Amino acid sequence: MNLGTLAVKNIRRNQLRTALTVVGVAVAILSFVLLRTVLDAWNTGAEHAAQDRLATWHKVTFVMPLPKRYFEEVRQVQGVKKATFLNWFGAKHPTRDREFFANMAVDPDTFFDVYDDMVVPPAQLTAWKQDRQGAIIGSSLAKQFGWKVGDEVTLTGTIYPGEWKFRISGVYTAARRSVDQAQFLFHWDYMNESLPPGRKDQIGWIASTIEDVSRGGTVGTAIDKAFDEREIQTQTMSERALNSQFIGAASAILTALDVVSIVILVIMMLILGNTIAMGVRERTREYGVLLALGFRPGHIVGFVIGESVTVGLLGGLVGLGLSYPIVQQSMGRWLEENMGSWFPYFRIPATVAAGAVAIAVLLGLFAALIPAWRASKLDAVEALRRLG
Amino acid sequence: MSDAPLIALRGVNKTFSRGKERLEVLNDLDLDIPKGSFEALMGPSGSGKTTLLNLIAGLDRPTKGSVEVGGKDIAKLGDSELSRWRSQNIGFIFQHFNLIPVLTALENVELPLLLTNLASAERKKRATTALRVVGLEDRMGHRPNQLSGGQEQRVGIARAIVHDPTIVVADEPTGELDRQSADEILGLLDKLNKDFDKTILMVTHDPAAAERASIIRKLDKGQLV
Repeated sequence: MNLGTLAVKNIRRNQLRTALTVVGVAVAILSFVLLRTVLDAWNTGAEHAAQDRLATWHKVTFVMPLPKRYFEEVRQVQGVKKATFLNWFGAKHPTRDREFFANMAVDPDTFFDVYDDMVVPPAQLTAWKQDRQGAIIGSSLAKQFGWKVGDEVTLTGTIYPGEWKFRISGVYTAARRSVDQAQFLFHWDYMNESLPPGRKDQIGWIASTIEDVSRGGTVGTAIDKAFDEREIQTQTMSERALNSQFIGAASAILTALDVVSIVILVIMMLILGNTIAMGVRERTREYGVLLALGFRPGHIVGFVIGESVTVGLLGGLVGLGLSYPIVQQSMGRWLEENMGSWFPYFRIPATVAAGAVAIAVLLGLFAALIPAWRASKLDAVEALRRLG
Repeated sequence: MSDAPLIALRGVNKTFSRGKERLEVLNDLDLDIPKGSFEALMGPSGSGKTTLLNLIAGLDRPTKGSVEVGGKDIAKLGDSELSRWRSQNIGFIFQHFNLIPVLTALENVELPLLLTNLASAERKKRATTALRVVGLEDRMGHRPNQLSGGQEQRVGIARAIVHDPTIVVADEPTGELDRQSADEILGLLDKLNKDFDKTILMVTHDPAAAERASIIRKLDKGQLV
């Protein structure tokens, strides 16, 4: 036996109370991990977005299309390495229309040159380029709908009405965390040729890679300048800046999540502090005995803090242990498969996991400060007079 | 027994304050206790027996006067020094046994040794020896709630002697026990005094218990009578 043994044995004294406190801390830590993972996943899009990729769209709003000929002109701007164009298609699964996924008409010749963080097996890419009705889908989307290469798929158009038939040519995987793995990509020509004359040859936006990452702003300005005197002006922004702007718009929500996670921890600290204070009150006489035997107030403080920190640590480990199956395995997979556009990579970051355990320990420490201080002030004679 | 007293109290006063009220519990008390004696302190409730015991054991300090134990005025020691002094020189036996309920008999006895530099194996060995002295070596792994009152008090006695103190103070050690258990405990105190040369101070209301002591002192209204 040593001094630590006594602190740990005290934890088992009232097992129901200890278990409930550990569960309470675990739930608080689970909530903390969940909220921090949401925040991290939200920010992942911006942090991991390609720095060398620019997006050019209609200056008024990205909903308005650009003439297709702009694409060729963007390619000619100095500093642009590669470019491609795409249209938001907005179709839905005919029977599971509540399950959102991004579907876009893209240029098969250039798309994967620009979006090189989406990896398609070469044979599937070749097959897709040769099949006008071919579609490349993300691995999450394939899993979500149970689609595989060779399947015939029909989508119901909303922006472009009608029943659209496709054949799955390939499945891409992500080489970067920010990549939404639930996209559906098909030939822009297939869409364009089906449109009435007034809607033909229009594209949603142009994506381009640049030769020098540090010159992104200059190249973007040069692209926009090229169309300054045209009937339609453009706005160009890096993918990272675009994502940051999106996150900025949601900053109130993110701040609220931050505040909620802190409030949960503070409440849990007060509950843990109350539990520890109850334990100290109940054990006043025992502390009196220890003081009589020659233990010093510092030892008593150590026992109280040791007990509280151990409960905090246990709660932290249980909470973190629960977080992986609940937050990462179940919730994370579902979010990646069904809300991949917002949460392309929903995993518990190592810093959050380590931080959660550290916070649980600190929670235990701070919760014990007042009870430990009061215990240290005990007078042995007075404490021995206490009943029970 | 040597001639020089092990414990010498001179002009000791102890006053407690309750709000504006001052309560004088011990009044100009002088007392010499020789080494190796077994003394009983008797007196009515509120006469100051436990307060006197606490002063000698270094749990409390006199309002006035000196408490010398082994030639050292313990009232002048700082808090930490006094704690250390208690842990080396005093063994406590309480009326309510005051064992730690989550610890086994062996662990309870080992408690005072945690304040020493002894290795774990040596602590365990000494605790086992102390339990053997009180006849409880077969109950080492039992928790207090698995022991009878008499057995609990014997564990309390083992805890009081495990660190080989000079003085054992016992505050109503038989107060919670039946006659047979009380006799066993008093027999053990007698053994500690005679076989292990411990100086024993026992507060008791029980005349039968007091008769086991070599000296009986009576306190009334804070003075020895």
